[in-house]
Amino acid sequence: MASQAVLDPAASAAAQPQTDVIIETRNLSKVYRDFWGRQKVRALKALDLEVRRGEIFGLLGPNGSGKTTTIKLLLGLLFPTSGQALVFGKDASDVTKNERIGYLPEESYLYRFLNAEETLDFYGRLFDMPASVRRQRIADLIHLVKLDWAKRRQLKEYSKGMTRRIGLAQALINDPELIVLDEPTTGLDPIGCREMKDLIIDLREKGKTVLMCSHLLADVQDVCDRIAILHQGELKELGRVDSLLKIRDVTEIRASGLSDAAKEEIKAVIARHSGNLVSMDNPTSTLEELFLSIVQDSEARPGRRARVEG
Amino acid sequence: MVLENQYPPYLEWLFSAGVSPGAFWIWLITMTGVILGGLLIAWVFSSIRYGPMKAGDLIFRTLVGLVGDLTHTSPRRVFALARLAVQESIRRRVLAAFIVFIVILLFAGWFLNPGTTDPAELYLSFVLTATTYLILFMALVLSSFSLPSDIQNKTIYTIVTKPVRPTEVVLGRAVGFSAVGTGLLALMGLFSYFFVVRTLDHTHELTADDLAPRAAGPGGVARPGLEGDTGFTRNHRHHIVLDENGHGYTEPSQDHFHEVTATTRDGQTEYRIGPALNQLKARVPLYGKLSFLDRGGRTTDKGINVGNEWGYRSYIEGGSQAAAIWRFSGLSAAEFPEGINLDMTLRVFRTFKGDVEKGISGSITLRNPQNPKVSYLLRNFVCKEFSIDRQNIPLKFKDKDKEVDLFRDVVSDDGQLDVIIGCLERAQFFGMARPDLYLFKREGTPWVNFVKGYVAIWLQMVLITTFGVMWSTFLNGPIAMLATVGTMVGGYFVGFLESLATNQAFGGGPLEATYRIVTQSNLMSELEKNVTTITAIWADKLLRIPLWIMAKLLPDLSSLSDVDYVADGYNIPLDVLSIHATMSLGFLVPVLILGFLFFKMREVAR
Repeated sequence: MASQAVLDPAASAAAQPQTDVIIETRNLSKVYRDFWGRQKVRALKALDLEVRRGEIFGLLGPNGSGKTTTIKLLLGLLFPTSGQALVFGKDASDVTKNERIGYLPEESYLYRFLNAEETLDFYGRLFDMPASVRRQRIADLIHLVKLDWAKRRQLKEYSKGMTRRIGLAQALINDPELIVLDEPTTGLDPIGCREMKDLIIDLREKGKTVLMCSHLLADVQDVCDRIAILHQGELKELGRVDSLLKIRDVTEIRASGLSDAAKEEIKAVIARHSGNLVSMDNPTSTLEELFLSIVQDSEARPGRRARVEG
Repeated sequence: MVLENQYPPYLEWLFSAGVSPGAFWIWLITMTGVILGGLLIAWVFSSIRYGPMKAGDLIFRTLVGLVGDLTHTSPRRVFALARLAVQESIRRRVLAAFIVFIVILLFAGWFLNPGTTDPAELYLSFVLTATTYLILFMALVLSSFSLPSDIQNKTIYTIVTKPVRPTEVVLGRAVGFSAVGTGLLALMGLFSYFFVVRTLDHTHELTADDLAPRAAGPGGVARPGLEGDTGFTRNHRHHIVLDENGHGYTEPSQDHFHEVTATTRDGQTEYRIGPALNQLKARVPLYGKLSFLDRGGRTTDKGINVGNEWGYRSYIEGGSQAAAIWRFSGLSAAEFPEGINLDMTLRVFRTFKGDVEKGISGSITLRNPQNPKVSYLLRNFVCKEFSIDRQNIPLKFKDKDKEVDLFRDVVSDDGQLDVIIGCLERAQFFGMARPDLYLFKREGTPWVNFVKGYVAIWLQMVLITTFGVMWSTFLNGPIAMLATVGTMVGGYFVGFLESLATNQAFGGGPLEATYRIVTQSNLMSELEKNVTTITAIWADKLLRIPLWIMAKLLPDLSSLSDVDYVADGYNIPLDVLSIHATMSLGFLVPVLILGFLFFKMREVAR
């Protein structure tokens, strides 16, 4: 079968469509109901979203905005009330998609009576990995997350940062194509945060797709290519981080080598002077400012449609 | 031994048991009914929320998904999850159950009296019952709390986001906890066996002063050797007859005997009594078919009911033509080269006290089923109640000076034999059920029988574990435990539920019985007709439907227990063990599938 696939790449591609869209949600909605079926919360309202191969995509939003619900729907931990969540072109309830996914939950929900090696061995077995591959992978990952010195200690003896790191290792045990990270830097010290962000960027360099949600806007701004901002279950903003942060109605000019006289005159007619123009662009805001303005705007005018940009 | 459930041979039970269609077909029909009923209920409820078309689509997709899950279940993942369940059990101090068991055994040594008439039965039934309760309790706790606790502390997130199917999650838990139970059961079994053997072991003192030359036999014929009584130990002593070398066996007492040897040193003879022999038994009986003759000599299915609520035994009237006839099949001279031992445990019902010191007399008559008009009186006997009376049928015996050859004259060509028991005393009754008289085929191996008894406990443990896991797929821990306890209680009282559902129970259904308790009216008295009683009786009629469904759907756990076989010293037939294993499997499969479905339909992140 393998040789046949090599001989006939077209057939292979047809069998497994190599789409650039890794995650797609169509009109995805989730309503939480009580025991009697009465509506309690409308957690997600008609979310349309695409995450493309090889990008780092950030989900942002205040508490209760629906970002964790979105992740849970994508992972099949919750079932949508309406709409569809597709991962690798498969329905989110299809467990076979999980073979290509790694998931780091908000808190590393791991078995505290296992040690690091046993933890990774257990999750490796869940991927039906042969023992030799598993052993090699465990050694590599423990080294990657710098836990060689504590690999035989039970997780209940781990600090929060160590637990996050072993959690990340379990998310990577299957060398996944898509990594879903829920608050990846929570509980990490500044060095740990930096290492985690480097690792996320490194994963992208290796062609992986990363979907992350975080409250730490600076982290998102540092690593994400694109972001979606959710508020009260609605998509409020979606686009490239650099594009979203650009202030379009302001021009920023940075120059050097000008005389004091020129500096005086530059405010009037900069283009006619012989200074060395270094850049002329729109200034950027911080993600924090953008986030706060969207949330305030959303609260002032509920139901505003998202400004979608590529 | 009381055997209320009498099973036919395994294959006959499975596919065709006389007039009924056989267990497998009944199972198939029940499963079909349950599946169709379940689908209908699921569709109705889904339709209310999603509309009929979408409900149908959802159910179809769930079923297709279930088939996919079942066919793609990976043994490696199941093993990984089972291994985790074992590690989790050890972390949850499951070995404490074993320590509790050891403590119970230690206390049992204080409180159980080895001086009872049958200490082996007492000790065996104690250890087997204690093991059953402990292991079922452990299975209950482990299986009900594991999955809910994983869901509550969200560790389940890291499992279901891997390519793990609901079948593997449920099966992994069930297999893991069953493995833990198996290990514990093996340990308990080992300790129990040594506890019983060591506790029952004893010897007696015997000195030369306890012995005297044997009394002369009939006609004043001198008999060699010595006889006397052993010392009194554990509430019994044995009578012994020794040959001229001082060797012999004690007479049985408390269902065992000892070997006696003598050694002479410096002119002094010392007697040594060996350990108790034949204390643990595994008798292999050959049961017959029981029919009766009434007082006029006509054949009936049952004898007389002397007023017992428990209709297990039938009675025959003494001094009349009433008789109980057991027909045995498959006899051959090769299998019984030294004649046939016939064991009986008959009950006596006296209509007048008479001489209470003297037992009631009966007769044993043998008959060739091919020639029923000729019967041979084997002997008369005095009924020993509450103990096994062993009567030997020799290969040759005399009936009214006529020499009778057992296998030539009495056993038919196709190996059948009728044994007829009659009661000789007017106005007194003998009571019997089919298992109360059997032909002793051989002695089985007690420890093998002990293991079989533990296999029966193991089957119950696996069933309870699976039920616990199934309930825990959609209920939280304490509620899942309650549901499992409910299953256990219902399972042990399936017979009673059935009697309620078929209106056979005295005192009516639940509501009528409650009314009787409140108004302090007895079970048999006619209730006065008023609004309350009429409503209660009608409500009971409606309640019979769910009770009937429950009785049919719950496993009959009491019938799975083979403690009585082991404790009473009877071999557990392989047919019985196979039937119990198949019955358990018949429940395991649908319960596991239900567990898969419930877990598949559950949003674990809610």
